[in-house]
Amino acid sequence: MAHTTEPTPVVRALYHDDDVLISAVKEIRAAGYKITEVYTPFPVHGLDKAMGLKETRIAMAAFMYGLLGLTVAVTLTWYMMISDWPQNIGGKPNYNWGMNMPAFVPILFELTVFFAAHLMVWTYLVINGLYPGADAQNPDPRTTDDYFMVELPAADGLMDVLKKSGAVEIAEA
Amino acid sequence: MASNKVYWKSFDQLANTEVSQRLAENEFAQDIPADVFLADERSMEAQASRRDFLKFLGFSTAAATLAACEQPIIESVPYVVKPDSLTPGVPSFYATAYTDGQDYASVLVKTREGRPIKIEPGDAGRFNRGTNARAQASVLSLYDSARLRGPVLNGKESDWSTVEASLKKAADAALAQGTQFVLLTSSVFSPALQASIERLRQAYANFQHVELDAVSQSNNLDVWESLTGVRALPYVDLTAANLVVSFGSDFLGSGMAQQLSSDYATRRKPGNGMLRHVELESNLSLTGSNADKRVKIKPSEVSGALAYLVNELGGSASKIALRDDLTKALKTVAGELKAANGKAVVLVGGDDANQAKLSAALNALVGAFGATLRTDKPVYIRRGNDARVANLIGDLKAKRVGALLVAGTNPVYFRPDFAEAIKAATFSWALTDRMDETAQLCTAAAPEPHYLEAWGDFRPVAGEYTVAQPTIKNLFDSKALLEVLGALSGDSRSAKDQVAASATAMGLNWNQTLHDGGAAVASGSVAGASAGVAAALASSAKVAKPAQGMELAFYENAVGAGYQANNPWLHELPDPVTRLTWDNYLTMAAADALALGFENETNSDGSLDGSYANVKVGKRVLENVPVFIQPGQTAGTVGLAYGYGRTAAGKVADAMGVNAYSLGVTTGSASVEISKAEDMHEFATVQLGHTMMGRRIVNEVSLADFIADPSGASWNEKPTFHTIDGMMNSEEANLWADHDHETMHMWNMSIDLNSCTGCGACVVACHIENNVPVVGKQEIRNLRDMHWLRIDRYYSSDMSKERAEDENIGGIEMYAKMEEPSESPSVVFQPVMCQHCNHAPCETVCPVGATVHSREGLNHMAYNRCIGTRYCANNCPYKVRRFNWFNYMANEQFADVNPAQDDYGRMVLNPDVTVRSRGVMEKCTMCIQRVQYAKLEAKKAGQPVADGAFTTACAEACDSGAITFGDVNNAKSAVRAAKSDARAYHLLEEVGTQPSVFYMTKVRNA
Amino acid sequence: MHYESPVRQPLILGDKSYNQITEDVVRPIENPAPRSWWMVFSIALVMFLWGVGCLAYTVGTGIGVWGLNKTVGWAWDITNFVWWVGIGHAGTLISAVLLLFRQRWRMAINRSAEAMTIFSVIQAGLFPVFHMGRVWMAYWVLPIPNQFGSLWVNFNSPLLWDVFAISTYLSVSVVFWYVGLIPDFAMVRDRAVNPVQKHIYKILSFGWGGKAKAWQRFEEVSLVLAGLATPLVLSVHTIVSMDFATSVIPGWHTTIFPPYFVAGAIFSGFAMVQSLLLIVRKVFKMEDYITVQHIEMMNIVIMVTGSIVGVAYITELFIAWYSGVEYEQYAFLNRATGPYWWAYWSMMTCNVFSPQFMWFKKLRTNLVFTFVISIVVNIGMWFERFVIIVTSLHRDYLPSSWSMFSPSFVDVGIFVGTIGFFFVLFLLYARTFPVIAQAELKTILKTSGEAQKKHHSDHGAHH
Repeated sequence: MAHTTEPTPVVRALYHDDDVLISAVKEIRAAGYKITEVYTPFPVHGLDKAMGLKETRIAMAAFMYGLLGLTVAVTLTWYMMISDWPQNIGGKPNYNWGMNMPAFVPILFELTVFFAAHLMVWTYLVINGLYPGADAQNPDPRTTDDYFMVELPAADGLMDVLKKSGAVEIAEA
Repeated sequence: MASNKVYWKSFDQLANTEVSQRLAENEFAQDIPADVFLADERSMEAQASRRDFLKFLGFSTAAATLAACEQPIIESVPYVVKPDSLTPGVPSFYATAYTDGQDYASVLVKTREGRPIKIEPGDAGRFNRGTNARAQASVLSLYDSARLRGPVLNGKESDWSTVEASLKKAADAALAQGTQFVLLTSSVFSPALQASIERLRQAYANFQHVELDAVSQSNNLDVWESLTGVRALPYVDLTAANLVVSFGSDFLGSGMAQQLSSDYATRRKPGNGMLRHVELESNLSLTGSNADKRVKIKPSEVSGALAYLVNELGGSASKIALRDDLTKALKTVAGELKAANGKAVVLVGGDDANQAKLSAALNALVGAFGATLRTDKPVYIRRGNDARVANLIGDLKAKRVGALLVAGTNPVYFRPDFAEAIKAATFSWALTDRMDETAQLCTAAAPEPHYLEAWGDFRPVAGEYTVAQPTIKNLFDSKALLEVLGALSGDSRSAKDQVAASATAMGLNWNQTLHDGGAAVASGSVAGASAGVAAALASSAKVAKPAQGMELAFYENAVGAGYQANNPWLHELPDPVTRLTWDNYLTMAAADALALGFENETNSDGSLDGSYANVKVGKRVLENVPVFIQPGQTAGTVGLAYGYGRTAAGKVADAMGVNAYSLGVTTGSASVEISKAEDMHEFATVQLGHTMMGRRIVNEVSLADFIADPSGASWNEKPTFHTIDGMMNSEEANLWADHDHETMHMWNMSIDLNSCTGCGACVVACHIENNVPVVGKQEIRNLRDMHWLRIDRYYSSDMSKERAEDENIGGIEMYAKMEEPSESPSVVFQPVMCQHCNHAPCETVCPVGATVHSREGLNHMAYNRCIGTRYCANNCPYKVRRFNWFNYMANEQFADVNPAQDDYGRMVLNPDVTVRSRGVMEKCTMCIQRVQYAKLEAKKAGQPVADGAFTTACAEACDSGAITFGDVNNAKSAVRAAKSDARAYHLLEEVGTQPSVFYMTKVRNA
Repeated sequence: MHYESPVRQPLILGDKSYNQITEDVVRPIENPAPRSWWMVFSIALVMFLWGVGCLAYTVGTGIGVWGLNKTVGWAWDITNFVWWVGIGHAGTLISAVLLLFRQRWRMAINRSAEAMTIFSVIQAGLFPVFHMGRVWMAYWVLPIPNQFGSLWVNFNSPLLWDVFAISTYLSVSVVFWYVGLIPDFAMVRDRAVNPVQKHIYKILSFGWGGKAKAWQRFEEVSLVLAGLATPLVLSVHTIVSMDFATSVIPGWHTTIFPPYFVAGAIFSGFAMVQSLLLIVRKVFKMEDYITVQHIEMMNIVIMVTGSIVGVAYITELFIAWYSGVEYEQYAFLNRATGPYWWAYWSMMTCNVFSPQFMWFKKLRTNLVFTFVISIVVNIGMWFERFVIIVTSLHRDYLPSSWSMFSPSFVDVGIFVGTIGFFFVLFLLYARTFPVIAQAELKTILKTSGEAQKKHHSDHGAHH
């Protein structure tokens, strides 16, 4: 069992069912305790609301990245086809970017998607602290299989609340 | 790269005086060879700074050094003092005369850094100034590594003094023993040579001179000799004719004594009085393909047909029964001949004595003598005498010949009996360009110089004298016949001196004549033949009954008689009619093939196979001759080309095709027995689709309609398109605002389908000019020929949209039938090269921009940038792009055929044109190197490029002037005029590619 | 908590717990490979190596070793390219589009479908590269400055659009796939006993811990990626079709190509997924996850897209006739009745007629029959590309240039090689990766698990 050593002792309660987990989280918070983290083997729907997590804004980031990609594409095509060395290619008009633009649509689209997708995933990995070879973030390996763990700072009366909430195992560290 | 700062060199320039302007106009106060290092356009356009100058200088020095490493293994000495005439990078031209034992032509030789690299037509007005495929290709024969390098005696290497001594000894011995000393040559029409032969005759009482023409004209010559007293053919003047009736005479295609194609073309300009051409023949020849009216006839029917015409025109010849349809056709021909009153000529192919008499008589009756048939202007190019050759063979076998000197001909190959005869000779000595079939059987053999290495003079026709000069030092240890004979007759003068002497003897200024390549001379007193006497010949002619069985008529394709059989360019050039390469074969009518069980089949990869036949003439049998089913072939006849089946010509020619001469027929046709042989032959064809499938590809109109509607509205309808702004033609219907093509040059090419005879000289010229690789039989069989310029040949089909409509035949069946050529097709030829589309489909699709458009209307191809996706070729509607499938320069598969892989052959490469690497696309550039050169010259001269100042290789090679190249932005240019002609149209105009090449509607005088 | 009507077929059979799912998914990874796996793998490896040999020969000698000629400049190379790209599409489609449409049945198959996408797009990518006459210059298609000065790529060229489309498609598919894999790798990591294995999966899993916030972002990212991948997958084959549609060659120059190609891609893609899954589910005993219902669903998709393709074929013929353009009319007549009629009719039979059997429930739920059809469809789709490319090129405008094509042993060798390469990759994947997106699957266990549904219907839904 991987135990992390922290200054303030934390309590880890394990649950064996996601529905129980949700209700437990609600009860604990109702009892006024602050939950630091919950580890689950799969995305438990409604958990973020129960924990009162804020909406993620990663989608907005993706949109920005997309715009960036589009800009890059426009610059690329303009510089290479119109500005740097305009050539008569099959008689197509290349006096300005607009006249040649229809031929660039596929490029514009692809680069937009490319930038949006890749930069978003990079962001995702970074903000979640995920990188090759990183140590496992979950204290208990069972939480990637079929256990659900609530982690919160130790406090008086907490145990009863946790027991009542249906925890199958409670550990203090 | 270039600095834009302008420095004024003097106060004059600042003040901009008229002097300084003139100075400014031509870049250099006195002309310095700027073209050496400013070899490309962009650097000329840029104002090159001093530093640029040094860059170029440095580069050219480095390049020269590198190039030197590639030099072939002949000693080359750098110039200590540069000859004024020679500037590296600038070609020099020499006027000379081309002859290979068969053809004669007056030509210009283009040399670069002392190497002949291209043959171009001689000065206008010269006799035979056109260059056919063989003349064009002949420059490569110079660099043929199969040539004999030094004298050989009894199969061992020797030296000149020894072999010449041996010859002298043999000749003297013969004189002593009273046996003959015979000189055997092809036709000799060189005054200098004739003189030296005379001297030899004086020196040796037992001397005999025998002349042998590979493709014999002996019987014709006999007839004309009897009429004019001169052993020469009369000059045919088509320019004076309105009607030419030809009996199996391939006067446009095969190696004629005389180039008629240019005269033919000039008289085929559409309009009133356009030359009408009726061809009666058994094989579908190039000439027959161009005829207005073509009648199928068997060789054995020709004499009968001629006799019929003689009688029709009031002469008297023995009558025999002919096929009704033939008689019917002849009746109309007779009518036309009468109507032509004197402005007609009858030509006869082959070499049949009776036919010769009859045709002479017929021409007399037609009134051709003195008009279209200049009996007073003999053509000396054919002088062979088969009777004397037969005697020689007899004498040789009977050991009556003590010494035989064979020079410049190959009797063992040309005449089947000669082999054993020459074996019987006590002493035989060959002056030859290679260890050929004859030389191998000779006691001694010595190398003869190529015509580009030799001095010589010619009297091709009464009234003309030409001089041949060497354009390169002898590559091998060779000696001219003039000098060999001189040595025997104790004449020590060099060939040059002998030629100079003979020129001076004619009262000509030697230097001037040499410079001009010849001069007009007194024609000598040649009395024309009397029409009366000629007409009388008819009655003496034997008119044979048409034979029953199969008949074989021989013909010549680009390889000709076979003197240049080892020249790969001639084999790579597809036969204009059959479109086959690297082969000769039996052409056979479909009906006969069916009856005799011969087959042609196309494999799944498009390659063509044909069954083998054994051909028997008398006792002689030619085995395993491939059979090719030929539309237009007269039923009951087969055709076979001369010049193949060599055994000792070199790695290109040996064991390719069969030797037609070995059947021992000299009259041009014979009765044969054909039997089927085992196995199938692998052909190499370049064309699988033989009909136009009802598409408007070659636009054709009858002369009548052409005259009736000069505007062309009814017969040259341009495709139009429905647009939002109403109907538009392909020029107007345009998605885009076009790039500017009005300022500067706009190069266009006009191809007159009326003048084009399909001969293929342009194809070879293009091949040479642009260093196009030779890929050999297997690759052509794989449909991977590399020709930048091809000549499509289409047959008419019996099926047409109209017919399908009338007989309500469904689309599937209609198209299937359309693919089959008619049994008696009318034929059209269409040269197709890159059309340099201004809306080029190839350019848009190249991912790396390797092919883009120039502002001069040319479609550029940057080989260095090409990555070889082949997308451009796929998207080309004209399929003119060629891909380098292999490294033709190094891949051993092509070592035997590609001259560029041979140390000598490499010398023929055009230094102005890149040799393309493997995996890149290539195509016609409109000879961009010539365009750029002309522009540079004009720039140096400070003048605009004049129309006709230069032209492309194909246009230059075309002696019927079918191709016109020039600047349409030049109001006075010929091509501009052509473009506004009513006959002009673009190929596949409806695709909207807006090509820079356009075609002139073909007009048939029918 | 989502409630699902008991009428719906359960998506997970048997009485499964979360742990049960985990056990089932990791079984192939933790246990040694069966002999059957080794047999198939070695066959694939041999094919792959043969292909490598043929490629080496081509690069060493020249494109001349293929069966191409002056008229037919593309044949098997681009046929195989389009074929593989097409196959690739189903994967993205299943994982992306079905995710957007909240199709839960996708969860069992999307992992393998995406793997197939990536592996087949890799095969596809090989052809445009190696069909180049000078493959060592291939990098010139990238918009980079070069030693010849500012020579740039030509953005007008559909081939260049391909470069961007294919590379974007491949790379985006990879990240999409991997984002989904991370939690599953973490699961394998946490169970692993063998230290080496544990270390490898530690690297692969990026330290995933299943934190609530991470899961929230995970779902958002998956959704956005799905949103991006969906137009992407449509654009890729659209652009591929433009290689032909924007040309002037009769039979290529066709405005219907984009939708027609996309439909064809989904069609062939689903067929390939079908073939693969039928094997996977048998070999790895995953009948409980890849149920007959899944198979049936996909058969329905195959039937529909097959019919769409059929309509496209007919439309082409009609338009060719209706256009009144000489060349178009002949091009299509020649396809059906010319020298390559056999290719055309194989295409018609395999793509248009064979899927119609799927109208019958009996047949579309019959696994053997399904397997056969899925193979037939892939053969048919290969012929479709062959017909479009070769029969259009071999007889275009000027009859003088008409020709024929037949492949050389190298053409065949390279194609076989890519098939080998594909299976090598897929088989390795099947033994080392969680072939089922178990994390996702667990989310639907309660609603779509057989036992759970039974429980609901017995005691009624009470929440």
